[in-house]
Amino acid sequence: MGILTRASRNIARRKARALLLIVVLSLALAVITSLPPNIIANQQGNQGLIDQMLGAIQSSSERLNLTATQIDCNLGLQFLHNQGPYKNVTMMVTPFLNISDYANLTSIPEIADVIPMLLYWQPDEENFYFNFTYNGYTYRGFMYIWGIPLEASYLEKFPSVIPTTDTWTFSTKENITAGRNLEAGDRGVVVLQEFIANYFNASVGDTVNILGQNFTVVGIQGTGRYPQYFDIYMNLEDAQKITNTTGQASKLLVFADKVENVDTVENKIKEQYPERLEVTTNKAIINQALENKAEWEKNLQNTQAAVDNLKNTAIMEMGLVVVAQVAIMLFVMLYAVRERTREIGTLKAMGASNSTILGQFMLEGIILSLIAGIIGVVIGTVGASAIGNLLIPRPTDVGFEISVGGQDVAILAMTMPEFILAGLGIAVALGALGSLYPAWRAAKIRPAEAMRHE
Amino acid sequence: MNEPVLKIENLTKTFTLGKRKIQPLSNLDLEVKRGEFTAIMGPSGSGKTTLLNLIGCMDKPTDGRIVIDNMDIARLPESQLCKIRRDKIGFIFQNFNLLPYLNARENVELAMELAGKFKEQRKQRAKDLLATVGLSGREQHRPQHLSQGEQQRVAIARALANDPVLILADEPTGNLDAANKQEIVKLLADLNQKQGATILIVTHDEKVAAHTRRMLFLKDGKIIDEKQGSKSSPS
Repeated sequence: MGILTRASRNIARRKARALLLIVVLSLALAVITSLPPNIIANQQGNQGLIDQMLGAIQSSSERLNLTATQIDCNLGLQFLHNQGPYKNVTMMVTPFLNISDYANLTSIPEIADVIPMLLYWQPDEENFYFNFTYNGYTYRGFMYIWGIPLEASYLEKFPSVIPTTDTWTFSTKENITAGRNLEAGDRGVVVLQEFIANYFNASVGDTVNILGQNFTVVGIQGTGRYPQYFDIYMNLEDAQKITNTTGQASKLLVFADKVENVDTVENKIKEQYPERLEVTTNKAIINQALENKAEWEKNLQNTQAAVDNLKNTAIMEMGLVVVAQVAIMLFVMLYAVRERTREIGTLKAMGASNSTILGQFMLEGIILSLIAGIIGVVIGTVGASAIGNLLIPRPTDVGFEISVGGQDVAILAMTMPEFILAGLGIAVALGALGSLYPAWRAAKIRPAEAMRHE
Repeated sequence: MNEPVLKIENLTKTFTLGKRKIQPLSNLDLEVKRGEFTAIMGPSGSGKTTLLNLIGCMDKPTDGRIVIDNMDIARLPESQLCKIRRDKIGFIFQNFNLLPYLNARENVELAMELAGKFKEQRKQRAKDLLATVGLSGREQHRPQHLSQGEQQRVAIARALANDPVLILADEPTGNLDAANKQEIVKLLADLNQKQGATILIVTHDEKVAAHTRRMLFLKDGKIIDEKQGSKSSPS
């Protein structure tokens, strides 16, 4: 018959009171233990949404950085009366510009880089034409030769200059279906659009002759939805060499150092080359991307604010319940101490030390709380979702998800061993806290006073 | 036998009630020798219970010395006093003060448990002590299932549990009917005579006091008279 027996028998002696106390405390503990899983459930439910928004913002930022800072500079389109196979057709061509004429562009401080690109097609020349079959019909088309500066310093900063990347905007965005894309430092190699590869009857690793120069095929680009484009991609210098356009480009890709400076750069280029150069910015992309970004950021803020708000509400409610629980325990135990003053006197008369008395009363509080904690954890587990809905109602307009695989997130979280142990730990801690002062009062009662107590 | 178990010198106790000071005991001297069966008598308010509380280390004196078993307890801290109450003193109360959630044996055992005695040892001694007070076979009964006389017997067994040097009994027969009163007084007298227990009993009942060897009369906080009782000493 140790201190534990005495404590438990004392509890059992006042069954109705103990039962009432356990019911109240277990409900309080059910709230305390089920709210954190609800908070976690809310956070988990929102994480997907938040991730999606963050992804959209990041993608929007990347798109802004990669594309929106790009400013195309070329000489205006010219009408060319075709002298080649289609003699009676007038076509529009972009004249080449001399790269050296625009060397001064790099002196504009807001410009990060100037990258020349070559798009060569020559409707006058028969060898640019070829026949291809599509959907059972035979067509006649002509080739475009893309000269791309494959310098590592460009590609690192502006991967979009590589064809077929997601952000490449010059031509089709079809994926490489065989072999690989162009890489930094590639010379003497080509990536062929599929129809042209068929025309050359070439596969990856084969050699093809283009305008009198042999190239190794390193990749094939799919035809996709746009079979009218017949692109050959190669290093800029190779392209310049075979097309006799050394030192020339069809356009200069000017990259501003940041999106906000695009207008400044555009104006400065126009000031510097007022007559000849056509300057085109991706304003629409910038505006759309900025708009999207702002929208996503606003949504993200709203969602995070809603999650924070729910979390704060839950924490406040938990705080109130904790205070209420400690207060209930405090008053019940204070009443018990007052009621059992004579018993305390008897124990002291028999030689019980203050720590023995303190221990017995605290143990009674802890046992009561622990029983309430076990019941509370069960109630909290079964009713986690209901308690969550009652105390922290979730708004429906920001896409909260409350179930995973058909199981309630809050209940799933609540059944985690750490929450069950935490619930019991909280019960013990609150029991100890609530009964500490009454137990201390009991321990400090002077024996003579205790014996006089009626 | 002549060795004093209790020696009190110039004992004074003063209470303050608001602005008023009450002095239930004033410069009281007393000596109780080992094996004595002493009664302290006096009218209500004479300071009997205050004296018993001070001897029992339940309260602290305002002035004077209280020496129990050669130890001056008057200025000891509570942490020491509880050990003296546990090891050297046995209490018997008017209201028995048994713990209602423990049975008779457990009530007796509790005193030994507080003294750190081993379970088997205290269980056997509790059984023996209950047999001594005539409660064999009633060990498992809780106080509410015992008569008042039986409850007081359990309380006596409990008081003897740690083999104290001094047993203090505060009106031990105050709540008992005549028959039980007689039984309990006889039991105490037997304990004194057969086991040599030193017993200090506070009572206002002359019939109870008559069973003791020595009667002290307390009035206004002082011992005003002393008589030798009719009973012989255990020696």
